[in-house]
Amino acid sequence: MSKPVYGLGGRYAKWLISAPPLLYLLLFFAIPALIMVFAAFRFPGDYGGLVPLVDVNPDTGARELLLTAENWRDFLTFENFGRFFEDSIYLELFLKSFWYAGLTTLICLVLAYPLSWLIARSGKKTRDLLVLLVILPFWSNFLIRVYAWMIILGPQSYFSRVLNGFLGIFGIEPVSLLFSQFAVIIGLVYVHLPFMVLPLYANLEKHDMSLLDAAQDLGANAWQRFWKVTWPLSLPGVWAGVALVFIPALGMFAIPDLLGGTNSMMIGNLIKQQFLDSRDWPFGSVLSIMLTLSVLLLAAVAAWAGSRHKKKD
Amino acid sequence: MKKLLLALMMTMGAAHAADTLHVYNWNNYIAPETVKRFEADCKCKVVQDYYGSMEEMLAKLSAGAKGYDVVVPTGFAIPPLVKQNLVQPLDKAKLPNAKNVNPAFLNSQFDKGNQYSLPYSFTTTLLGYNETELKKLGIDPTSWAVIFDPKVLAKIKGKVTVLDDSRELFAAALMYNGFSANSVNPDEWKKAAETIKAAKPFWAAFNTQSYIKELTVGNIWVAHGYSNDMFQAQQDAKAAKRAFALNYSLQKEGNTLSVDNMMVLKNAPRPDLALKFVNFMLDGKNSADLTNMIGSGNPNSAAAAFVKPEIKAIAAVFPNAEAQKKLQQLNALEGKQLRELNKLWTQVKTAR
Repeated sequence: MSKPVYGLGGRYAKWLISAPPLLYLLLFFAIPALIMVFAAFRFPGDYGGLVPLVDVNPDTGARELLLTAENWRDFLTFENFGRFFEDSIYLELFLKSFWYAGLTTLICLVLAYPLSWLIARSGKKTRDLLVLLVILPFWSNFLIRVYAWMIILGPQSYFSRVLNGFLGIFGIEPVSLLFSQFAVIIGLVYVHLPFMVLPLYANLEKHDMSLLDAAQDLGANAWQRFWKVTWPLSLPGVWAGVALVFIPALGMFAIPDLLGGTNSMMIGNLIKQQFLDSRDWPFGSVLSIMLTLSVLLLAAVAAWAGSRHKKKD
Repeated sequence: MKKLLLALMMTMGAAHAADTLHVYNWNNYIAPETVKRFEADCKCKVVQDYYGSMEEMLAKLSAGAKGYDVVVPTGFAIPPLVKQNLVQPLDKAKLPNAKNVNPAFLNSQFDKGNQYSLPYSFTTTLLGYNETELKKLGIDPTSWAVIFDPKVLAKIKGKVTVLDDSRELFAAALMYNGFSANSVNPDEWKKAAETIKAAKPFWAAFNTQSYIKELTVGNIWVAHGYSNDMFQAQQDAKAAKRAFALNYSLQKEGNTLSVDNMMVLKNAPRPDLALKFVNFMLDGKNSADLTNMIGSGNPNSAAAAFVKPEIKAIAAVFPNAEAQKKLQQLNALEGKQLRELNKLWTQVKTAR
């Protein structure tokens, strides 16, 4: 057997085809991310933006770099990072956002798993219909769907009135659903559920059913068949779903803004506040960097735990 | 032939751009009928884009947004636009209607001599409320105590929203404590932050986007917001024949006044149409339309004759001399002060 022969064109074709997406990521992800890191060490401009490093010399009309080896302290600073650690409110807000995103991910997983299983085990026609139904919400605008939840959860809605009527029978005070942490979690789960269902379904669909038959023949009960066969095989789908739900949920600001009460702020709202309300780009950049770092740290811990787990086996 | 095609394309392109004015304005701040009349008048098309806060508008324009001709900022947003060189001086020779503006609204601290801006209309920031429910509870809405005093709030827990706007909410809390809305004294700010923290557990939400709707359907009984929005909510509730009545009033401790102004952007594609629009909106009748349809306050002397009498009677829209004394326009905050307020605001919003 000889190795498959690729022509010269073949080797370049690989790069040629992937050049546009690579270039796109470089231009619109890597470079902006670097700009953000640089911005975190600079001072905010009076009206947003940053204190300029380059200015036009009024005498010569030429553009000049203001930054020199002597005066760099006027332009670069660690102060923005210091601010993050000088008050515990920022760390607390990070923890709260992680808690919201984690809870959302867990609820999504618990809801999506049986649903994905059902879809994967349905006949072809039913399966296509069910997948279509999962994707269907994407056809309407995200904000409109969140506004619909404002109406559903509002105190005047049938849902709230029936629920509170029911609670009233047991002498429980009526609860207010809208503008609460509960409403934020409902909104987060609702928006992210399809992102858990789709990768799980893609994974579960490929499972070899004869493995389950074999397990049954060897005397495994339903729970053992799930826990020893299906669950370990589905882990790649679970991890993909967890990443697709957890990371966007962590940075969400629109849902806490619309559905949240006075105590539902998340880290995304704080970052938005820096860039809009306070026009403080450097501190906003610091918060964004911290968010990225904490997600990376979490992923690293998960990967490390995963590799240890494998070694034990 | 090629030249002919090119010329044709150029004129087509020019004709396309020739007739479009891009207005960047507050949402709910111009009547559709007024836009239609201007379009007929200038034989052009008006394309509108909206913002919900000054910060949003400033952030977008500072970041270099292009294509807008006219922008309508509140007073304190004028200096940032001027200092960043984003706007151009107004050519008064092309604005004969500028003479209609009430002199009391000219020559403000934000633009001495009105080199860059002319007033469009104004709003007050106040409390809108469910009159029926507050009467039942015997709550007087003419004091900021309704949203800040825990004793009063205990009766309406979960039925109050306040603006998700650091400047406006701090101004209200400062005035409730007897300080100036424009105070930059750290101790007074701290006191205001304490007031907000103590009241926060009783509020339903910080809300800038949907309080009109929440008031109108009866979910919320007291909302901190802008007078023209309260006007809208009241009209909507009447139109929907609700079992309750909405109303709004100024607070005895004082309110903030937002005078919104028309400015022409430096990189405006069509400064000529922009000036036409500014002049059109300064016409007495057109300016009165704004008040009649959206309930905004009117800085135009020539408009008075066209404003509906029932609107003239609303104290929050046409404050009398005594009420006017208690109205304050917010100053522009810069650098350190803005950062300090931001820190307090984050503390207030994350406090349990």
